[in-house]
Amino acid sequence: MTAITVLQAALEAENAAIYGYGVAGAYLAGSGQAAAIRDWNDHNEARDTLSAMITQLGATPTAAAAFYALPFPVHDARTARALAAYLEDGVTRAYLGVVAVDNLRLRTFGALAMQAPARRAAFWRGRTEPFPGLIS
Amino acid sequence: MLLASAATVPLLLAASGCRSSDAFDGPDPLAGRPRPGHDVVVLQAAIAAEEALVALYVTVTSAGSAAGSELLKSLLAQHGQHLARLRAALVLPPGTVTASPEVTVSAGFASPGATASPGGTAGAGGQADGRDVVTRLHAAERASAAAGVRRLGTVEPALAQLFASIAACDATHVAALAALA
Repeated sequence: MTAITVLQAALEAENAAIYGYGVAGAYLAGSGQAAAIRDWNDHNEARDTLSAMITQLGATPTAAAAFYALPFPVHDARTARALAAYLEDGVTRAYLGVVAVDNLRLRTFGALAMQAPARRAAFWRGRTEPFPGLIS
Repeated sequence: MLLASAATVPLLLAASGCRSSDAFDGPDPLAGRPRPGHDVVVLQAAIAAEEALVALYVTVTSAGSAAGSELLKSLLAQHGQHLARLRAALVLPPGTVTASPEVTVSAGFASPGATASPGGTAGAGGQADGRDVVTRLHAAERASAAAGVRRLGTVEPALAQLFASIAACDATHVAALAALA
């Protein structure tokens, strides 16, 4: 597993989250929608960070897909919150993959980067999980 | 065919003029207990730190006066899960002295017999209540999350991922406790 592979996987997860928050946000209102917008912005920043890291390693960042299949139908605020938690779980897992590489700086980056999506997943789910990114 | 039981091996070695240290490529297994590997040392430190955190939660939840006690019990239960998984990753020879006394958490509630780990960073002891308790737990969780990330740099990937996941969980606890404060 190379550094570029794991960073591309994290970028793909961020791109999926950006797309998914666009869907979830449409079904949320008030503070929920404000939180979705805040998280969407965070994912855009993370995408830019990952793209810059991949470019620095001499590779081309994978472009976002035009469309991502949703894991389940989203039609109201409840399912929108569930989608947000699902997306954050995916991003958390992807950054945990970065922790598996040998490079110390990348490991540390992955470990720190997975904390924000783990927190956001807990927010949307309404509870914390014992092992974010791992199978409990 | 020559069959040798474990008891006859030393005799055979002696008869052939070999010492036990000649038969193995590495440290003499009869010379004493080998020093634990790096991952084992790091894992033992992680277990001791998790025990200290559990002990702090046990102290404050036993006092029963903390705000958000249901939340605190739930966070304690998750630390119990961390401890179990860390301990499961550590297999030591029988008779090995562990770093700290046993701390247990059952069914999400503090075990009455649980004890604080000596030298623990959590500073358990005495009864505190309300905001003070939350502040202490918040600081302990934050320190634990940071220590987990520091710890993962030099260990095998699977152990590094376990440390990273636990540190991320601690970070979610920080946020949950901040909401209580």
